[in-house]
Order: sequence, then C-alpha cells, then structure tokens
Amino acid sequence: MMEGKIDLVLSGRDSARTRTHLALQSSATLSVMHGIKRTKVDAAAIAARREKEKEKLRAYLESEKEILDLKEANEWSEAALQLTEQFLNTNPEHYTIWNYRRDIFTKLVFVSWTPEDAYQRLVLDLRFTTSALKRYPKVYWIWNHRRWCLENTPSGPGTEPDSKGEEGIDGWKMAVWSQEVLLVEKMLSLDERNFHAWDYRRYILSHCPPSLRRSDADELAYTTRRIEKNHSNFSAWHQRSLVYTSLWKEDPSQRAPALDQEFELVKNALWMAPDDQSGWLYHRWLVGSGDDVTILEKEIGVIEELLEVEPESRWTLDTLVYYKRLLMKHRSEQGKRQLVEECRRSLETLCRIDPMRRRRYEDIGATL
Amino acid sequence: MANATTDAASDTSTLAIPVHVSYIQKLGESQDDLMYHLTSHLRLNAVYWGLTALCVMKHKEALEREQLIEFVMSCWDEKAGAFGAHPRHDAHILPTLSGIQILVMLDALDRLDAERVISFIFSLQSPTGSFSGDRFGETDTRFCYCAVSALSLLGVLDRLDKDRVVGYIRRCKNFDGGYGSDVGGESHASQVFTCVGALAILDRLDEVDSETLAWWLSERQLPNGGLNGRPEKLEDVCYSFWVLSSLSILRKMTWIDGSALERFILSAQDMEAGGIADRPGDMPDVWHTLFGVAGLSLLGYPGLEDLDPVYCMPTDVIERRGLRKAWLALPRREM
Repeated sequence: MMEGKIDLVLSGRDSARTRTHLALQSSATLSVMHGIKRTKVDAAAIAARREKEKEKLRAYLESEKEILDLKEANEWSEAALQLTEQFLNTNPEHYTIWNYRRDIFTKLVFVSWTPEDAYQRLVLDLRFTTSALKRYPKVYWIWNHRRWCLENTPSGPGTEPDSKGEEGIDGWKMAVWSQEVLLVEKMLSLDERNFHAWDYRRYILSHCPPSLRRSDADELAYTTRRIEKNHSNFSAWHQRSLVYTSLWKEDPSQRAPALDQEFELVKNALWMAPDDQSGWLYHRWLVGSGDDVTILEKEIGVIEELLEVEPESRWTLDTLVYYKRLLMKHRSEQGKRQLVEECRRSLETLCRIDPMRRRRYEDIGATL
Repeated sequence: MANATTDAASDTSTLAIPVHVSYIQKLGESQDDLMYHLTSHLRLNAVYWGLTALCVMKHKEALEREQLIEFVMSCWDEKAGAFGAHPRHDAHILPTLSGIQILVMLDALDRLDAERVISFIFSLQSPTGSFSGDRFGETDTRFCYCAVSALSLLGVLDRLDKDRVVGYIRRCKNFDGGYGSDVGGESHASQVFTCVGALAILDRLDEVDSETLAWWLSERQLPNGGLNGRPEKLEDVCYSFWVLSSLSILRKMTWIDGSALERFILSAQDMEAGGIADRPGDMPDVWHTLFGVAGLSLLGYPGLEDLDPVYCMPTDVIERRGLRKAWLALPRREM
C-alpha cells in the first residue's frame, strides 16, 4: 500500500514532459497524480485520444509481452538487453523489467563477456540512468539500478602503482564512483528538496572508495552554499546536523567553537524570515536537550530580542515556551514560578494567533 | 479549460459517496488507455486502495469478491513465493502486503500459501534489522512496515526478532522526533507513519519521542487546512492519512484543526467524475481517494466506517483478528 505517492514516476511536478503526458489521460485511469489540473473531458475527446494512442498502446503491450516471454524462457542475451533498455525508456517504473535486465548482467555479461566489455556496458547503463533521472527524478527504480551498477563494477586496471610497486585494480571503480557527487549535485540543483537525491548523496558519501571520500568540511561547505541560496531548504539544514554529529563524534573539542558559529548562522536565517520553520528546527537541534544552561539562557535572550521586533511571531513564541520549559529543570521553585508565568502568557497569545493548534498549547499549559 | 460548473457540482461541503463509489468501480474499465498499462506496476496496490476506500464508504460489495480474489491470486509469483504487482510481475514486498490486506478484508486468507509468503518476508531481513523490498536489496523503512504488518496479519509476529527491527527503526529517528527512509534520511510524514505504525504493531511505542513528534506532525498543517509531508512543502490530501494516522496512534489528533482539514479534503473532490485529488482542482486518482476518505474517517466524518490507523484497514476487520492497538481517533459524528 505504501509506495504510490513517493514511487510514482508519473508524479507530474517534476517535468513538463511528464505533465503533458499525464494531461492526456482520462480521469478514470488507475494512476496516482500530483499537481495535474483537472479539465473537463467529454466522452468524444477520450475516444479520439484512445484512437490516437491505439498504435502506441499496441506497440507497448507487444514489447512488454515479448520481454516477459524471454524472461520466463530464461533467455540471457544481448538482444534482450537492448529490448529492455528500449522498454525502460518508455516506462522506467516497470520494476520487473529492471530486474530482468540485472539478471542478464549476472548470467551473461559478468560471466561470458570480457571484463573490459562488461565494464563498458555498465558505463552505458550509468549514462542511461542519468538521462532517465533527468526526466523522472523521483523514480525509485532508476536510483536503485544506479546503485546496483556502482556496486557491481568489476575490478579493473588504471590506478597508480601502490607502495609495493603493484598496479592498482580499482581504476574502473574509481572512474564510475568519481562522477556521482557531480550527478547528485546536478539533481539537487534541479530540485533542492528531492529526498531521493539527498538519500543518494548520503549513500555516495558513505559507500564510495576511500580515496574519493569527501571530508566533513567539504560537505559542510556544500550545505552552507545550499542554505545561503535558500534558507528555507530544510533538507540542507538536516544534512548539516548529520555532518556535525559525525564531526563532533570524532573530535568533541570542535563542538563548542562550532556551536557559536552555528547559532550566528541560524540567527541570521531566523531574523530574515521568522515564519520559516527550517531555521527554527535547526535551532532546536543545536540547543538539544538543554543541559547547557549557559547556552539555553543566551539563546532565550536572543529569541526574546526577536520577539520584541515580531511580537506575534508564532514560532518565536512557541520556541520560547519550549526552551523555558527546559530551563525550569535547572531552576529553584521561585525561578520556576516566574518561567511558568511567562510560558502561560506566551501560550495565551499562541492560542489567540494560532487557533489551529490551540489544543496543543492548552495541553502544554496543563503540564506546567 | 473547465467549463463553468453547476452549483450542485461545485458544492464540495459533503462527501459525494455515490460518485466516488462509481469512480472506483470504473477504474478497471480503462484498458484501452495507455496510462492504465503504464501503471501496471501499481495494480495490486491500487486494488487495495480502491477496496479499502469502498469499505470506509460502506460499499464493499461494489467490487465483486470472487473477481478480486482471482485477480490477487493471478499476481502470485510462483518462483519467489509472494505477490507481484500484476500477473507476470516479480514478487516485491509492497504488492505482497497489498495482496495479504485484500485477502484479509475479503476473509479469504485460506487461499494463500502462507508459509511461502512468510519465508519470502523473512528472507528479506538483513542482519541490521532492516528489510529490503526484494532480492535486489534496496532497504527502506516502508519495507519494515510492510513486513511487520504482513507478519502480524498472518499471525506469526512471534517468529520475528522484534528487537532487531526496533533497533533499526531507532537508528532512523531524527532530532525532530520524525523518521526518514533509512538511517540519516530526513523526516518525512509517510515514513513517520511506517515507523510509528510498525512500532505500534510491535507494542514498542515507548521508542517514540511522542511530544516532539506530535509537535512536528501538528506543524504539518497549513493555513488552508491541508497537511504537508515535510517543513516548507505544499499540502497534499494523502498526508491527511500519513499525518493523521500517526497523530491518532500517538493519541494527539486534537493537536491540529480537524474541521479545517476536513474542509480541505472535501474541497479536493471531483464532484462529477468522482474521486479525490491531491488538492482542489487537480485530477483525482485512487490513491488520493483512499487517503482522503481514510482521513475523513479518522476525523469522525458522519456515515463512514471506522478505519484502523495502524493497518489502514477497516477497524472491525482488525478487531476480529485481535490486533487492535490503543490509538484514538475523533468520535463519529451524527449525520
């Protein structure tokens, strides 16, 4: 039941081409659609379109049948490889045909071809998936096939001799993996929130050959660029939180100086757009469990300054209530009473300016 | 462009059950359409979406039981021992769950070679606790949900190493309380449902940072009443289910404005051809139709059947199997 929304090729926001394609269809088909405007289509128009599509449909079904027949006959041939490529060009969602294609690689290409030929064939598949992703950036099966190609690239010559004078065997692997960061950056420049591309980016960074590994500093710089381009890109903030987590695990001494810098960066984002959730979420990550009272007090002060400028900013008020609740744990009874009072007042304002979430504010108020 | 519509056709204040039922009935009649065939990789899932939507609208009989069972069984992949999305397609865990769900709803599980499906599902678990979708090994928290839900519906959850799955889901948790598609993945409402749903079935909701997650989920509601799936993204009717079901499992459905969401879902109906779209004025499809009516059911919309938010199946079906968990939806309102 799960995949439709995320899995659909034909989720039209991504390409004009898909959109026109989808706009052709009647409202009675079994597909999942996003962002395709509804138009009134009468029966005559549907019939005319079907007539026009008849030949296309016949060819599609014939080609599908031919391939599935070959698959069921366990035919592992170059001809079948070509048929599947043509077919997947038309419909990259047909996972069974992707599976068949990989089986042909395993049963024919990797066992009967020379390693050089097998490698060249995989390079062609990478090119094929690059162009498919540009048309269908949210199709899981294309991303999956790309990972499979990378993971199945044979060992091959071409790297520098190692310290013992033996020639390296990772030349082919290096050649294919070295392209991937560029590809994913291209995909993210087309859609900065595409979670398939972000997931793939993390996969590439963690699975590439060690000599191609990017440093955490490089990855941090990448997220800085993305955030500076658009503060609202939460995917980049999220990635940034992961990079720091890994950096600080390796070298905890870097945490304190980095935190100062990060609070400054996110402060700029919050002051520029106090209604944007992205910066606030990252701010909460920086504050964490609130065990550092100095940070908690300082940040409450910074946010209160913002509140003076934006007295009815929902996220400013909500964040203050959250941080003050964290601070209560560190206060005596008297200090606590004052914080409770302040939270109550903020919650009252929140109930008024954000009635949609009134019950949340009331529930929190009841716990004070 | 659309012609001016009549008042009756543009009044979306109530759920137009008869047109939606007829819309779902007609879905299988589009076999002259190229698009129908281009989406064959989702067919069994789509049958589940359609049947469940009909059950919620109390029109289960609108599709013929024997025909449905026959279609489900025609998707069986004898080589792998599980369901593909369509006859001759390879087995995958997504259509396998759909097939099982349909058979359970039709009280026809006896048709299934349950032991083979169970072996198929267990063959997909990795040592790290994650599940892959098929023999090629792609992992995703969606597949964890599919495995856990399917094993539970088949009554064999006791054979699962629960701690291993729970350990994996724990590693997918983010600081905002949400869950992503894999370890490190950004929180996304549909992946939140899969993780929270799986933890609910495993009786391990203690893993969830409930207040933080309910806060994040309630922030998915936009001023027009609709819900988005991630911060600073557009609203979409399908999140009516992913977000609401999660909130209902956490017993925090009141943290959003139910009436505003209800109006948003209703406004995305196609009052003439039937079906519900991602948002008002767009083309409807069976996926959004299910998740729209599922959301309405959880919101207590009058005249609908109760839907179990953990399994996304009618509550009575789940109760009969003794699988109901402690979720809380809004009370059903009178007509």
